[in-house]
Amino acid sequence: MSFVGQPTPRVEDDALLAGQQRFIDDLGVQGLSHVAFVRSPYGHARIRSIDVSAALARPNVYGVLTGDEIAQLTKPQRGRVPLARSPQVFALAYQKVRYVGEPVVAVAAADRAAAEDAADAIEVDYEPLPAVVDPEEALTPDAPLVFEEIGSNVLWHDTFPYGDVEGAFAAADQVIAERYTIQRYASTPLETFGSMVQYEPSTGGFTVWGHTQQPGQDLNTLAAAIGISPGQVRLIIPPMGGGFGNKVRPLYHVILAVLARKIGRPVKWVEDRKESLLGLGHAADGIMEVQAAVKRDGEILGLKFRNIENEGAGIDFAGRHNLLMLSNIVNCYRVRAVQYEGFSVVTNRCPVVANRGIGKPFMCFATERMVDHIAAELGLDRVEIRMRNFIQPDQFPYDTPSGQTYDSGDYPEMLRKALELVPSPAAAGEGEGVGATKAIGYGIAVGVEPGGSNLSYGMLISGPNQLLSGAGEAARIRMESDGTVTVYTGNPDTGQGHATALAQIVAGELGIGVEQVRMASTFDSASHPYVMTSGNYSNKFHANDTAAAIGAARKVRDKLLARAAQRLEASPEDLELREGKVFVRGSEDRSLPIAAVATRAYWSVADDQPDGEPGLEAVYYYKNPISNRPDDQRRVRVQLGFSAAAHIAVVEVDLETFDVKVLRYAVVHDCGNEINPMIVEGQVHGATVHGIAAALLEEFVYDGDGQLLTTSFMDYLKPGATEAPDILTGHLETPSPFTPLGTKGIGEGGAITAPAAIASAVEDALKPLGIRITGLPITPAGLWRTASAGEKRY
Amino acid sequence: MQQQITLTVNGKQYTGTAEPRRSLVDFLRYDLGLTGTHVGCEHGVCGACTILLNGESVRSCLMFAVQANGAELTTIEGLADGRTLHPIQAAFKQHHALQCGFCTPAMILTTLELLRDNPHPTEEEIRVGLSGNLCMCTGYVNIVRAVKAASETMSSPAAA
Repeated sequence: MSFVGQPTPRVEDDALLAGQQRFIDDLGVQGLSHVAFVRSPYGHARIRSIDVSAALARPNVYGVLTGDEIAQLTKPQRGRVPLARSPQVFALAYQKVRYVGEPVVAVAAADRAAAEDAADAIEVDYEPLPAVVDPEEALTPDAPLVFEEIGSNVLWHDTFPYGDVEGAFAAADQVIAERYTIQRYASTPLETFGSMVQYEPSTGGFTVWGHTQQPGQDLNTLAAAIGISPGQVRLIIPPMGGGFGNKVRPLYHVILAVLARKIGRPVKWVEDRKESLLGLGHAADGIMEVQAAVKRDGEILGLKFRNIENEGAGIDFAGRHNLLMLSNIVNCYRVRAVQYEGFSVVTNRCPVVANRGIGKPFMCFATERMVDHIAAELGLDRVEIRMRNFIQPDQFPYDTPSGQTYDSGDYPEMLRKALELVPSPAAAGEGEGVGATKAIGYGIAVGVEPGGSNLSYGMLISGPNQLLSGAGEAARIRMESDGTVTVYTGNPDTGQGHATALAQIVAGELGIGVEQVRMASTFDSASHPYVMTSGNYSNKFHANDTAAAIGAARKVRDKLLARAAQRLEASPEDLELREGKVFVRGSEDRSLPIAAVATRAYWSVADDQPDGEPGLEAVYYYKNPISNRPDDQRRVRVQLGFSAAAHIAVVEVDLETFDVKVLRYAVVHDCGNEINPMIVEGQVHGATVHGIAAALLEEFVYDGDGQLLTTSFMDYLKPGATEAPDILTGHLETPSPFTPLGTKGIGEGGAITAPAAIASAVEDALKPLGIRITGLPITPAGLWRTASAGEKRY
Repeated sequence: MQQQITLTVNGKQYTGTAEPRRSLVDFLRYDLGLTGTHVGCEHGVCGACTILLNGESVRSCLMFAVQANGAELTTIEGLADGRTLHPIQAAFKQHHALQCGFCTPAMILTTLELLRDNPHPTEEEIRVGLSGNLCMCTGYVNIVRAVKAASETMSSPAAA
């Protein structure tokens, strides 16, 4: 029997509800010492000297580590997408600091307080340098150079024309141009980043208990930096209190490993919130110029994008925001000619990391805002123009100009359902006569939700010889000697309910109950298989993880059936697994308990082994078969699955204070077949509120010197229960033909599409003032300034 | 300079010593080993460290351990009765009101106080009551539903 499609309660919950789950800060080892960092107070400065003597003279201080030592003892970092011109980046600042909050010195002491006191006693002499924080300014010839060795602030720049772009613009009745901007923000998991490292003298390696969402890549980054084999690193990742892409900073593990080896004691460090906001990583801010070639009736013939991506002072994720935008560059529309020009620019801001949707929220914002603005210019209805340009249900699978293969969908029906769920207030008779001080706005946005990255997309930057490629995941499944099952995968837990979803899938494959399947939720490289595309990122669970688990489960099932066939004197093809038993099909009286077969598989080693080996364990490494490489026109499946959603927002804008209140919000989404509808709905809610908060609240604000002005949750505003709206949801299920269960991704769509829906609603409310929303976040102070100045662009 | 502290947590008396600067949450977590109370920001905004002190919700990151000398505390470890979930915990599970679960212990203690003081809150009152606790995962929709459901089960005759 299949448990797929049921709202099974989560197997993760009881330990979490009781406060019994062990997170990183709940772990320790004998003799543990604690680490604190000296961090840069400057956006850009040369390090003249570092005096650690006062720190080392303090009691209970075990040692320090500086950038000079790190540069001697480790190799510089390579970005996840190797760049042609890569600057030298080390785990600690070396010779220069490049952003406020950059780690400069690490110090270890008996406890955290002693370590922080010691850090305060370290004297760093800086020579401040002019900083550059604005990415357009960074492109000017006189701009200060963040990395002198690459000769400019441009890490990468390229242009990708897809289809007959010039022909489309020549055939247009009108070309509409607009400039859109997005701010820096981050999902800020409530549990901050942490690491605990113990040097293992017997092997010359390390045991690392720490955070990462890409275990294969980060374990290898650590080993390569230190110059040891990956087999000398044991990486253990306890379940994380949220991740959202942010918890991928392998250089912190490098620092702790070198320090642990140096002082001969295990070391631990868990970020505080200020360190996290300063230095864990942000989603890139960007500036996007868009041109649309349109016919008078609203048909969009072509789109040109020119995007300047602010990567901050780092290289680890450089280029990724840019390239991932190729996955949703035409969004839900039948546009056959697009051009994307991207810049990856370094500045004196915190380096970027992955953040829920990475790049795609901005691309969706730009396309959806442009569609609204085309409608405004041509005097068309916002729904009508979308209906006119949608990819039609009978066109799937649909190949987009940049090479994506959209698997399935019904965008017109999706939008119709959303409009039914929350009709426009004007249609409902509201909105009129709200008064001089309040205005109601109705916002519409649609968005594809790409799922599962094909890491070959990096070849668009690094060329065809890039080693890292494709998409896949690994799973190990062991049926224990009591017939229960343990599942191990290369995807560490950040809270999305993967253990429950995989238990539902595996239980069905093996004919046992969901409660008989347990997930080894603490990733351990000693037991959990992985490949370099493994991890908790890119909305990939629906495809790669489900397929890996099914592959391993079927190998175990074959072993189980071969053994049972022997004892039941039947052929394996005539057997079926259900309700904890192996039945001879059609003969209810000929059966064996699965547990009994499992017990013999381990205890009775002298038995004939039908598959040649005792035990009931299998590992399966899944390669996603639709992951390809860039073709001669540089088309590549950047992402592999395409969910979609229509968002409707109703907002009230106070015309005196410009406070924006979300009155109603609806999402109609299509992620194909759902494994657990309860979990799916939870993902939709959470992602959508991330998107709403990015639209209205959250912003990392830097001043001109590179000082971050938002270093606490009092300045960096997160939504509470009073800011978040209730969310109505509706479903559509168009199964994917490319995944084993017809599933598609669901973790990121809300965060991708909501900013555009909120902007659309606020713009509608401000129609009397004629203000066009082109930038985020939409704040009361910003709106007031725009309205007071009589400006027409926000 | 260490100071002697005696306090009662979940009905059990503990004694220990702490520097005056040691926060209450660090004392609970590292000295008493009660790690169910979490730390999210250490500046009193996120609410992840919320506990009940003499029946009132407090941010245990904004108090010093020495200030809790003689106090009666309730933490998440005191809520479940052996293996049976408290009705608030059961409602959170049933309504999928947690994802990563890091905010959950504090969210539950805040709910405990809310429903004690107002057994039949409206949705608006629930949202205001929870506004001091940040959740980065759920968007609050299912948390609000769970609190509503808990208020109903806890005030039903069967629960009394």
